[in-house]
Amino acid sequence: MRHEFLDRYSRLESSIHRLPAMLKLFTATILVITTMTVPANHAWVFITIAIILVSTGFASRIPWRFTIGRLFMLEPFALGIAVMALLQHNGIDVFLAILIKSTLCLLTMILASNVTPFSEVLETLRRLRIPSLLITILALAYRYLFVLIVEGDRLQRARRSRTFTAGRAKKWISLSSLIGQMFVRSSERAERIFAAMTSRGWK
Amino acid sequence: MNKAIEVKGLRYAYPDGQEALRGISFTVSEGECVGLVGPNGSGKSTLLLHLNGILPDSIDDSTAVSIHGNPVSNRTISVIRREVGLLFQDPDDQLFCPTVYEDVAFGPQQFGFAEDKIRSIVAQALSQTGLAGFEQRPPHHLSIGEKRRVCLAGVLACEPKVLALDEPTSNLDPRGKRNLHEILRSLPVTKVIATHDLEMVVELCPRTIVLDNGSIVADGPTAELLGNEELMLKHGLEKPHILRHHHPH
Repeated sequence: MRHEFLDRYSRLESSIHRLPAMLKLFTATILVITTMTVPANHAWVFITIAIILVSTGFASRIPWRFTIGRLFMLEPFALGIAVMALLQHNGIDVFLAILIKSTLCLLTMILASNVTPFSEVLETLRRLRIPSLLITILALAYRYLFVLIVEGDRLQRARRSRTFTAGRAKKWISLSSLIGQMFVRSSERAERIFAAMTSRGWK
Repeated sequence: MNKAIEVKGLRYAYPDGQEALRGISFTVSEGECVGLVGPNGSGKSTLLLHLNGILPDSIDDSTAVSIHGNPVSNRTISVIRREVGLLFQDPDDQLFCPTVYEDVAFGPQQFGFAEDKIRSIVAQALSQTGLAGFEQRPPHHLSIGEKRRVCLAGVLACEPKVLALDEPTSNLDPRGKRNLHEILRSLPVTKVIATHDLEMVVELCPRTIVLDNGSIVADGPTAELLGNEELMLKHGLEKPHILRHHHPH
């Protein structure tokens, strides 16, 4: 089974994919910072950023279906906060500002993570002298996210294959035990990974 | 012959008090290939974890395991870990880096080798395991057979003199098994293989140790032990098919 939910297109072939990772990471950071700090009345800044992002999106050959889908998946987290703004005086302006800014930031990150393989991101961070412990943690998190998802899928399938009544309460109870199981399994796996690391000289 | 592994009266109980190893003693000479067989829960994996000092959690000087004459202790542990390469049962536990190259390079990097040397060691380990060209692949895109071989390459990159392998052929298809047999056969180091794959033991290991309930119940020539139907059935094993017929298939 292949899981590529995070960065499915990060290994495509395109002019954008071929650019050095350092440049892409740097540009993405600048775009996010600019989007966040420029006051909302400077519309031309946001229009420029949007044009940059859209042309990057086309040049990278990442299907727009995927990008937009990802955007819809992530946007509710930002909008959840933005909705609160509607309750106050002049709230609609604040709401729109947050909507535009969050969309641009998310779009930047979705594109950035899908035009750069994660191993190259880590390599860049290493060259920027980010502490190696932090990089190791990021690398492990990325690596085991996939293992965890596959394991969660397996547990859920096993649970479904023996679920005969569809009572909602029962479902929730078994879901909570599934989450507990995942937790126990992950901590046991963490110990085995640590053993594997020490047996190859990690100190 | 020099002793590669010497284990004397090894005992181990898990933190919950359950006894896993109850006084185990054996020696393995340099270059030997020994099969370690026994039912589930007999202590095979626990024994392997002792060979490079992953267990027990803290080692005092009265240690029961010696590698090439060096007792495993806190003082010798870094040398021992380099000499004894451990292949874990679940490749996902052992493949913890984002790319194949980085994973195989992990050991040599820990030893502080220079970048060119690491590159040549990794290239050699990958070609030994038939994985040249896999350098940039992320581990979650590999099949289980490929993952197992990357794990082995990662172990070989540490240039061990002793290999301790935990179920190296589990979950492999027949071709994957055959492939792994060939690779293991080509490695001239001392090997201890814990497995339920008795056909592999017959093929690769002239000597077998049978473990049950934390004790060694038999230790001797493979054909003699695995050919003893009574002994095999008593300890949750069975006489392998290749030893049943005396005519060639």
